[in-house]
Amino acid sequence: MTLLPGRIATVFGGRRWRSLAPLAVLIVLCILIAIANPNFIELRNLVRLANSAAVPLTLAMGLTFIILMGSIDLSVEGTLSVSAMVVVLLAANDSNGNDYGWWAVLAAIASGTIMGLISGLVQTTLRIPSFMATLGMWFIGLGLSVYMLGGSAIRLNDASIRDLALHRFLGLPLAVWVAIGAFLLAAVIQYYTRLGRHILAIGGDEDVTKLSGVNVTRVRITAFALAGFFFGISGVLAAAQLGQSHAVIGDGRLFAAVTAVVVGGTALTGGEGGVVNTLIGVLIVTVLANGMILLGISPYVQQTVQGLMIIAAVALSLDRVRLRIVK
Amino acid sequence: MNETFSIRRIFEGKWTQGAIPLILLVGLLLIIEIAAPGFMTGETLALLFANTAVLFILATGVTFAILLGGIDLSIQAVASLASVMLAQLLPSLGFAAFPVAILSGLVFGILSGIVHVKLRVPSFVATLATGGVVTGLALWVSNGRAITIEEGGREKTAWINATIAGLPMVVLISAVIGIASFLALRYTRFGRQAIAVGAGEPAAWAAGINVDRTKIIAFAASGMLAAIAGVVLAARLSSGSPVLANQLLLPAIAAVIVGGTAITGGLGGVARTAVGALIISIVRIGMTFVGVNIFLENMVFGAVLIAAVAITIDRSKIAVIK
Repeated sequence: MTLLPGRIATVFGGRRWRSLAPLAVLIVLCILIAIANPNFIELRNLVRLANSAAVPLTLAMGLTFIILMGSIDLSVEGTLSVSAMVVVLLAANDSNGNDYGWWAVLAAIASGTIMGLISGLVQTTLRIPSFMATLGMWFIGLGLSVYMLGGSAIRLNDASIRDLALHRFLGLPLAVWVAIGAFLLAAVIQYYTRLGRHILAIGGDEDVTKLSGVNVTRVRITAFALAGFFFGISGVLAAAQLGQSHAVIGDGRLFAAVTAVVVGGTALTGGEGGVVNTLIGVLIVTVLANGMILLGISPYVQQTVQGLMIIAAVALSLDRVRLRIVK
Repeated sequence: MNETFSIRRIFEGKWTQGAIPLILLVGLLLIIEIAAPGFMTGETLALLFANTAVLFILATGVTFAILLGGIDLSIQAVASLASVMLAQLLPSLGFAAFPVAILSGLVFGILSGIVHVKLRVPSFVATLATGGVVTGLALWVSNGRAITIEEGGREKTAWINATIAGLPMVVLISAVIGIASFLALRYTRFGRQAIAVGAGEPAAWAAGINVDRTKIIAFAASGMLAAIAGVVLAARLSSGSPVLANQLLLPAIAAVIVGGTAITGGLGGVARTAVGALIISIVRIGMTFVGVNIFLENMVFGAVLIAAVAITIDRSKIAVIK
């Protein structure tokens, strides 16, 4: 590979530098934005930053496990909108008489998990690549939630669920604490459970993992269900933050989540990276979005910047020597 | 073991894969004709073709990417950008807005191809990323709003909405594109090489085919056709918007797969995509006809996509399904 990005990566000593690169990018980014606009490091802005990172962080936790396996989950937006739809329709709302309180939250998370479980089952039993299986699930979820909502926006009136976004504990909204909890849970799963180890092993080399006696199919299905679980939580958080659920509640979330995971340094080929990387990736994406608003750059350009970031991060991190065929 | 006669075997047979979509299409047409006699008249068929045109042009483009064993997830973004460019530029540039809008698609198609090939990024991520870049640009250019094509501009788009000898212009446009793509795949060096790359990349590479160039051309074609679809859509709706074609990504990919082109590459073509696009279109009309809620359309197409992929995929080609 004689291309410039590849060369730069080699110059900086490959692996070791690469694992620290995301953190360096985050720090440099924070310093630059703080110089350009000191408002950035005001406490109020930092709280706002944490608040807007809550949903992407929870989402990206789920997606990290899938990408660690070398798969992809494109159903992020569909699953999130299903979960948001379920919580809004079952809790007190302005459309029907339901008022199940926190049972609605449980049902929403369960529905997210079931969506993930179906993705996993479809992928493994029909034996089709995950990006196709989850592309289908994306639109199934989206269609279902828009249908149930009747194409309109429905308000969430349950005060205790709204408190997730409105109530503060130690200065931070509860949603942020939920996201931190999700991060800790994901970290425990990745580093201290058999499931986490198996996911990493599958990403490293699926054949070897299978030969080592791991039930690859079961691990895959569990991983997709786990991802659905995290998407379900973020659906609840998103509904609580917006105070309503509508057809486009998931718009742009897939993109932000993929960007965060990839920019954090988790390789799309699988087996490399993890939830800590993703935490840094989410912070990079959120800080950049926040900084662009502070600097007065049109928010519409955000997707463009995120797209370029995906390309740059993937190009820098892929261990391209191993791959001759890329499809 | 009586496996020989299992349904899976029948589905995996080569000739059946080509014939099933066609049988399905004819079956669907017959059902509708029985349910609502008079459907098979020239007028309604012309309307059906006209309503399928945009979908078919998009699907033809993505056929190139899928034939190579890749995918293009940026087509809806490119089509939307083209619609915005056309609406924005018509007042100042006049007819020159058409080539400019279409060229923008070509440029982003080439960009996707280069990112995919040179940076060795899997195509679904590369095109997801370029799709984001393009959507951002379209939002920025249009300030996040839909742009109406005003009276003066509408005169210049009128030719797209015209009918020639009873045939809507859009049908003629998509026919020309379909035939050109068909010929390009079948009779040009690029087409042959594209199918070879899709059928077996290592062999194609070893045979001296310039795999990278073939892939870039395929993605360029996909981008350009997506832009043409966007232009036609904008002309039909007299408006351009950064989310105009968002609902078309899934039906377009579904049309290709339902038509019988395998996502593993190397098998399929534009003729199959034409059949697939008609099936999708008829299913859509049929759903409205039977009274299925319009919001459920996405669910049906999502399920159809998964089923079609499962049937057409060539599992011998992928060692590990990720």
